[in-house]
This record gives sequence, structure tokens and C-alpha cells, in this order.
Amino acid sequence: MSRISWLTAICATIFASTTPLNAEPAPAPPPFAGFYQPQGVDEIGWWREDDESERRLAASPLVIRDEKLSGYLKEVLCRAVGDDRCNATRIYVMREPTFNATMSFNGTMRVFSGLLLRMRNEAELAAVLGHEFGHFESRHGLNRFKAARTGTDVLAWGALLASMGPSYDTRRTYQSMEISVYGNLYRYGRDHEREADLLGLGYLNKSSLAPQAASHVWQNLMGEIEASAVAKGLKKPKFNAIAFTASHPPHGERAAYLTALASPDSSTRDYGAQRYGETLAEWLPTFLDDQIKLNDFGGSEYIIANLAKDGWTATLWNARGELYRTRGNQRDLVHAVQFYSNAIALDDSLAIAHRGLGLSLFKTGERTRGQQALARYLELAPDSDDAKMIQMMLPQETPL
Amino acid sequence: MKQGFELEANSGKRILVFRPSVSVGSQSTGGMFEPNAEWTETAKSNIQVALTDLQARLGNEVIVAPEAYGEDALVVEEHMALFAAVSQAVIDYQFFVGNRLPTKKRDNKADVFDWSLGDGVSDLPGADQADYGLFIFNKDAYGSTGRKILQVVALLGPGVAVKSGEHVGYAGLIDLRTGDLLWLNADAAMGGDVREVDGSEKRVRQLLEDFPGSDIGEE
Amino acid sequence: MNARFFRGGALAVFMSLACAMTPANAHKLRETGQTFVVADSDVTVTPSRDWNRLNGKVGKRTETWTLDGEQLNDITFFGGIRAGDPLVKERSKKHEPLPKFTSSTLLVEVPELLEGTYRTYKELAAFRLLSVEPGSFLGSEGVYFTYEFTDVDQLTRKGEARAAIIEGRLYMVTFDAPRLHYFDRTVADFRTLVDTAKLR
Repeated sequence: MSRISWLTAICATIFASTTPLNAEPAPAPPPFAGFYQPQGVDEIGWWREDDESERRLAASPLVIRDEKLSGYLKEVLCRAVGDDRCNATRIYVMREPTFNATMSFNGTMRVFSGLLLRMRNEAELAAVLGHEFGHFESRHGLNRFKAARTGTDVLAWGALLASMGPSYDTRRTYQSMEISVYGNLYRYGRDHEREADLLGLGYLNKSSLAPQAASHVWQNLMGEIEASAVAKGLKKPKFNAIAFTASHPPHGERAAYLTALASPDSSTRDYGAQRYGETLAEWLPTFLDDQIKLNDFGGSEYIIANLAKDGWTATLWNARGELYRTRGNQRDLVHAVQFYSNAIALDDSLAIAHRGLGLSLFKTGERTRGQQALARYLELAPDSDDAKMIQMMLPQETPL
Repeated sequence: MKQGFELEANSGKRILVFRPSVSVGSQSTGGMFEPNAEWTETAKSNIQVALTDLQARLGNEVIVAPEAYGEDALVVEEHMALFAAVSQAVIDYQFFVGNRLPTKKRDNKADVFDWSLGDGVSDLPGADQADYGLFIFNKDAYGSTGRKILQVVALLGPGVAVKSGEHVGYAGLIDLRTGDLLWLNADAAMGGDVREVDGSEKRVRQLLEDFPGSDIGEE
Repeated sequence: MNARFFRGGALAVFMSLACAMTPANAHKLRETGQTFVVADSDVTVTPSRDWNRLNGKVGKRTETWTLDGEQLNDITFFGGIRAGDPLVKERSKKHEPLPKFTSSTLLVEVPELLEGTYRTYKELAAFRLLSVEPGSFLGSEGVYFTYEFTDVDQLTRKGEARAAIIEGRLYMVTFDAPRLHYFDRTVADFRTLVDTAKLR
């Protein structure tokens, strides 16, 4: 079946249903047609017609060059969309703190570290990557499809999954929403979103992973945005009131709809939480640190609490300590002391927790206890980059 | 142009041309999709045509920089980013009359043009085979730079009017031994839509106007 | 840190040009041998080479000097930041707050404050502190620190700074420059300049 007629068939199915909640499970995707190839031959012969931007990307200082990590992401993508598609894709992990993943015409996928921080398991990651892929794959048909579409409103959802990275310009546009901090949203027409999401869910339905995870990603992101706004003393974003979301159902409805699109027998499938957690463990402290240093108290609290649903670890307690110590009012510092102590109780060898504890104790006026903690920090990490500075804070030995 | 610099046509000097950094409509990192890959491909091949033209006119030997891989690629990329920063500084603080840095004003009076990429350029792949390096940096950012994203409207497909953001283009000639910038042409408000052949030619023509030893600007 | 802090958008280019177009607002020369007050504060320096003072500011009580443009070398003075204030002007106090210097900020935490400011303002993750050591600044106990980061223009820069907290206020001077060629070229001049810094 050609792409156009396949898409038209899908739309016909949708239009036939009375309400979104009666939608059929998303169908399996069509055979993969391959990526965009540059048109035209380079007769001049100066440089090969490779994708310029991928070449530059590969040489970018922002790429995280960790084969284990990118290899794992590739595996997850393969589980999500199948081997045909994933083998034509190259994945780059970027050291960027916001929630975003992008895909280029020729199959270059970039995943931001901020996104990896926010995923709780493989199924959620697969949902996002699959959605990206679906968006991208359906675009070719979209332009042609635009001419043929019926014009009937189609419920679109999941736009947030196709979020863009923040930019100075677009952030200001969305400032009232706070979504700007989390990535901006494509104002795709509802039809376009719809096609992408159908494809994305279609992949997942066919895959071994639980497609219900797609709705969890949405819920978590909304929760984070709300928490961020509340902590800043701003009103909770009214997702319905904002232009782009007027074309999307409110998130409760969306979650239900997403669940309906997931094929019914899939809910017992794998979420891959353990695999995901293990692979990310090495990078988690770094990505958490990157997030905390963005000075978004509410958002960071939310993310930490979410991660802690699977159990509090020394890393998570330490991160919470850093968060509170950074904001640093007196109440915060008292909490920070508690959090760092919790981290140390779970792992006494976590040097930075001793450092945080020591500094927080100093700041609440408990110098002696603070010095003890800092001394322990220096014991554990004598070569740390601030060792000499910390040393100055300890009681100085008097010369004999 | 650096004082005392002249490049004569057919002088036998070799010019190493680095892979032009051409991006149309999107950035190399943080860009959602890159629907303008088509545009970029077109722009690139058009610029290549114009460069071939340049070679013919100049009669200097123009060599293509060899492909760089791994660490080398990172270094080339960093030089390109530095070239863009230096070019922007030259525009901001030496070209723009109202904005000149006082120390540069004095330079201007003494006819001094003192900008450099540093002598690390001599280690770039291919640098040992040429005297000068030509850097071309062209960025049509419809909206923003760096990690920023295209104006969403651009994604609805070609033919949709795109709100222009930044258009920057720099072409610079570097002494491959010292890294000194010998000649720079830069235009932060260039005309010509590089997606069209005419636009590309115009853009490259603008960039290469007054290229030492050429007669390009005069046509 | 100056206009480059805002740089990265068309807006930034226009900003830096717009505020510099009239002769009255032109960048000022800072010549060798004279003593200058910086950052509207009680800090003075006495340069031993000529510098340019940029006429835009990144925040209250700041001032930026350069040789070739802030993209290539950027010395920013912070003249007594008060408790409760951020280091640079926030784009929006409510929506995009920056980390604040507080009355309980320790000297050893000042590098983190700078790091947090850069990371938050520019949305970077690619920033790392390289060294943090004690040293004297403005006649007081201070902290010397170095760092490296990749900015929004994809260029990696190195930084070196000195800071002290005096009577509850933060005094600091930072030097940022591309690690390729430019940092090494001017860091000695930076150190010479900062050595002359005095509190009146």
C-alpha cells in the first residue's frame, strides 16, 4: 500500500469513530522506505555529498562519546521501531540539560542528556524515540498528504513528546507557560501530530515494550512543569487555555486515549526499568548535577522525587542536598544537612556528600561538626580540585 | 585586509579550502529535524560551483582540505568555530564605525589589521601543503543560532514564508603558518537566498568580493 | 562575560550595536599607567597596557574590559555584589531566576555560584570547574579558580577568576577566552591587571 493511501486509510478509520476514546489500537507501520537521500550528483567533485551537519555534529564538543551509552540507546530504538529502521539511524547523545530528542532527514538522531535524566525506564525512552521516528517518517508523506487531507479535525496529542530544545526566541514566546524551560512545542497541525503519534504507537504496539509508557512520559513532564511553576510562585499553567493545547486534549483525557491506542494485550509487557537504571547509573550523578545547576528548584525536586519512587539512593539524597544547599536559605540548609546525612548513611564513601554536609553545617553555624565532615571529605578525596580551599577551613595546625 | 598583504593572480601560492561550514535554516546541534537538509544540500553544491569558478579566475592553485577524522575533526571544528567568533569580532569592533574599540581605532589609523586564529592552524590536515587557508562560514539561521531552533513555520514545508533571523556569512583567508587573518569579507546582512542558484552565486560573490588578486568584485 | 552573555541571537547583535552607535556611548580606552575605578564600585585597577572598556553591562556593579572583543577576551569586574542579588541581570526575575549570592555564601562556594550562573543563563551542561585554590585578592582572603565551558556558539572557552567576600559583599574578576590561542595569549596580562586591584 502506498504511503498516501495508508495514511488516508488511517484517517478514515479515525473519522469513522465517534469519540477518540473509541479509537482502535494503532496499526502496524508500513514497510520502511529508507531515508532522504540528497538529490543530484556532485559532478564537481569537491566534497562528497555527505550530510554536512552530521559531520560537524560528530566533531562537536557537546557529544558524549560513550559507546556503551549510545550502543544501548541504539538497542532500545531497535526494540521500539524494528531493525530496518534503527539500522539506518545513527544516534548521538548530547550533553545538553533539557528534554529533547531530534531527528534529521538522513537518519541522524540526537538525544539530549536532559531527556535521559527524565526517562524512568526503557519503555518510556522507546516511546519518545519511537514518536520522534514516527514524526520524521511520516513527514515525507505529509507534504503530499496535506493536499489530500480531508480537513476534518483530528485529535492530536503527544506534541510534548516532539518537543524542541529551548531557544532564546521561542522561550520568550512561551514564557507564560513555563513549557519553554522544558522544550518548545511544535505547532504542527493536528493531523501531522496525529500521524506521527499513530506511527509511534504503531511501532510500540509491534514491539516488545509496553506502549502505555507513552502516557507516563506525558504525565511526568506535565508534573514537572507544574512543580516548577509553583516553586516560582507562578500560576499553574493552564494547558487547555494555551493555543497549541487547544488542539490537544487535556492530559487526563490524553492519558486515557493513549492507553486506548495501546493494544490491549500489551500492558503486561516489559518496561525495562532495571536495564535502563543499570545502564544510566554511571551517568546519573552527572545528569542530575546538570539539572540542579539550572536553578529550577521545583522542576529538580520533582525529577528527584520521581527517580526516588524506585527507592532513595545515596546519589539521590546527595542531589537533593545540593539542590537545597544551592538555594541556601536557613530552612533549606537545615534540610540539606538531613539529606546529605541520609546519603552518607547509605554510602559513607560518597565524598561529595561529606563536602555538602560540611558546608551546610558551617552555614548553619555548626563549625565544629562542619569541620569534621570536611575532614572526612578530604580523607576520601585528597586530590579534589578544591582540596586546598577546603583545607583552609579546617583547624590549622600550629607550627611546633 | 592585513597591511602589506597582496595576493597576485597566478602567483603560484596554494590555497587550502576548508569544507565550508554551510548551514541553512538549522543548526548542527539541537535542531529539531532538519527539514532544510534539502536546502542545505542545494546551497552547498551551489557554493561549490561558485568556488570552482573562483579557482578558474584566480589562477592560484586551490586545494581541497582532506577529510579529517577523530581528534583531527574536533580540532578543525574548533578552528571553524573560532573563525566565526573572530569574524564576528572584526565586524563588531573594527568594521562598524560607530562601535570600534578604541585600541582598534588606533590600529585603523595606522592601517593595522591584527587578527589571528593562532598558529595551531599549521597543524590542520592539509596545512602543510598550502600557504593560505580559506575559511567559509555561512549561516542562515531562520530564528536563532547555536542550539536554537528553526522557526516552527519553516517546518510546514518549502514555499512557506520563513521569518528571517540571522544571516551571517564570512569568508576569510588565513596565513597557514601564523594563523594571521589576511583578508576577511563579512556581511551580516547578506542578500541572496542560498537555496537558489542565483542566490548562492550572489552570496558567494559577495563573500569573495575583493578577494585578493581576483576580479570577482568587478563584474 | 559582557555582551557575549546575551550573544547567540539576532537580538544580541542588535543590542550590542544599538547601544554603541552614538559617540557619547562609545567604548572607552583604558590606558597604561592610569588608575581607574571599575564597576561603579570602590575597586580600582592600574593597567600596564591599554585596554578597551565596553560600554554595555551584564549587571549592576559590573564592567567588562577587552582587547579584541568579548568573544575573544573578556575580563569582567564584579564590584561588590550584595546578598540576595544574582551576579548578572536576570532575563526575568520570576520566570528565569539566577542563583543568588547570599549572606551565608562561603568563599569556597563562589566558583559554584559562577558555574550555576553560566549554566542557568546559557542552559549549558558542558561546564566544568578545573581548580579552586586559596589566594589573596583586594588585600583579603580570596579564592582563585579556573574553569572550562562550551558556549552557545559551539566554541570552548577557558576561564580564570579571583574573588573575595568583604563586609558581606562579593568582589570578583573573571577572564574568559577561547581555549584555542586566545586564552594563553592574554592570561598573563589578566593576572598583571588583577594584581593591581585595590579597594579604596
